[in-house]
Amino acid sequence: MRTQPHPDVIPPIYAAPSSVGIGLRAPHYHEILSTRPAIDWLEVHSENFFGDGPPLRILERCREHYPVSLHGVGLSLGRAGALDRAHLAKLQRLVHNIEPCLVSEHLSWGAIEGRHLNDLLPLPYTEEALALVCTHIAETQDALGRRILIENISSYVRWQHDAMPEWEFVREVVKRSGCDLLLDVNNIYVSAMNHGYDARAYLAAMPADAVAEIHLAGFDEGEGCLIDTHGQRVAEPVWQLYREAIARLGPRPTLIEWDTALPALSVLLDEANIARSMLEERHALAA
Amino acid sequence: MPSLHELQASFALGLITPGNDDVLAHLIPAQRMNARGGLTVYRNNVFQNYRNALRDTYPVIERLVGAEFFLQAVDAYIRTTPSTSGDVHDYGENFDAFLRDYPGASALVYLPDVAALEWAVHRAYHAAASDSLDISQLADIAEDAHSDLRFTLHPACRLIASPWPVLTIWRVNQPDYASEQTVDLALGGECALVMRRGEKVEPASLSVAEHVALAAFQAGASLEGALEAALAQDAAFDLGAFLQYHVLTGTFTSFIAE
Repeated sequence: MRTQPHPDVIPPIYAAPSSVGIGLRAPHYHEILSTRPAIDWLEVHSENFFGDGPPLRILERCREHYPVSLHGVGLSLGRAGALDRAHLAKLQRLVHNIEPCLVSEHLSWGAIEGRHLNDLLPLPYTEEALALVCTHIAETQDALGRRILIENISSYVRWQHDAMPEWEFVREVVKRSGCDLLLDVNNIYVSAMNHGYDARAYLAAMPADAVAEIHLAGFDEGEGCLIDTHGQRVAEPVWQLYREAIARLGPRPTLIEWDTALPALSVLLDEANIARSMLEERHALAA
Repeated sequence: MPSLHELQASFALGLITPGNDDVLAHLIPAQRMNARGGLTVYRNNVFQNYRNALRDTYPVIERLVGAEFFLQAVDAYIRTTPSTSGDVHDYGENFDAFLRDYPGASALVYLPDVAALEWAVHRAYHAAASDSLDISQLADIAEDAHSDLRFTLHPACRLIASPWPVLTIWRVNQPDYASEQTVDLALGGECALVMRRGEKVEPASLSVAEHVALAAFQAGASLEGALEAALAQDAAFDLGAFLQYHVLTGTFTSFIAE
């Protein structure tokens, strides 16, 4: 399935292993540019910059001061049928313009038969889905000329047809496609709680060498399940799982994500500092 | 076992179509939920995502009809209007046509045209930038060839014409507008040019003659054709002032001389 080797692109500035970033959303654009807080890198949703208007100009200005990671929510790598080439072309143009330190997409689907649902929906963990996702990752990596990161999602249902647990599916995708992994520790926790599996077993199954980024975010309590809202501070058990993750994997570029009920920028920076101190603790241990 | 395609098509149907639960037979919900609960979480996420997108694009419509009516209309739109793009900013086109047929909205006759104006503002905001016309090039064109010139409009520019005072309605419903908000519908129709200037999209008022002239250029007409259309609306149409204004303000980005 590995179509051609993808060299590690060395961008002008990259996300260092012990670096901490925050997700940049529209209400914070102005403050980031005017105050330029001490944060190592920024991550944005790729689709918010597919247009050629003021948002892209702002991202270009951010890029002058920070490494930028592009995190896609709409490519739908797991869709049955062909990838949306027009969408991929827009991503390609943005990657060319911004020269991001990382490019990531989700291990999910969000479109079928030309109908988009614009959400991160769970795949059945079958051989058919595995082969398809790997084909689409290869196509994406070929189009972008670089390796991409694939992120594990939170889920509220599983499929009856699952032939393997999610962690095995993730591991197989990485092995067969040669992509890297964006490990969302909050998503592991949320899904483990929802479906009653062991988050530590999931973590233990992750291929350490492939993990190129970690995501942290907050969840909310829904009726009978945890919901990955990105609308809270990182929960205590997720911090605990994060500590265990970096103890096992080593320091990894870590991002604080916040999407709903977005608080002041200072709250995101606070959360980033907590992650930073954990990374430094881990670093000191290794030294 | 059903194919991936069948499973995804069934899931999509279950998300959007009320009462279509066929997909539940293929799903295992989170351990503390019943079968329908898991699908409901996704349905809520999907609807909330589109509601937010439409709220961002149509703030004036929401103000005009109120939050509750807006939400009902938006949910009905979502159920009948599939998204065709992985970029949610593309969602919400033709909301004007939807409102035209939406029961309960018919009393507000101007609503669809206000929606068309808001969509134009939304698209103009995200549209490509373009260089403005180099006026010195015009000097090289022989005067007797002027009538054959075809001006190209800025790619981000959109034209609106309505039998209602839509531009005035739009303006008095902007968050920073502080004076009288009542609009007399007897003001009659209005035309607008929607384009981005700098970082903001400010729809500009157009006379009917200006509107038809710009629309003629947009349809590929020559200067002569555009002038004829404008004069048919207003015998006193000032072509010189019109051209100067739209060259200087960047409405025209280039011209073709043939």
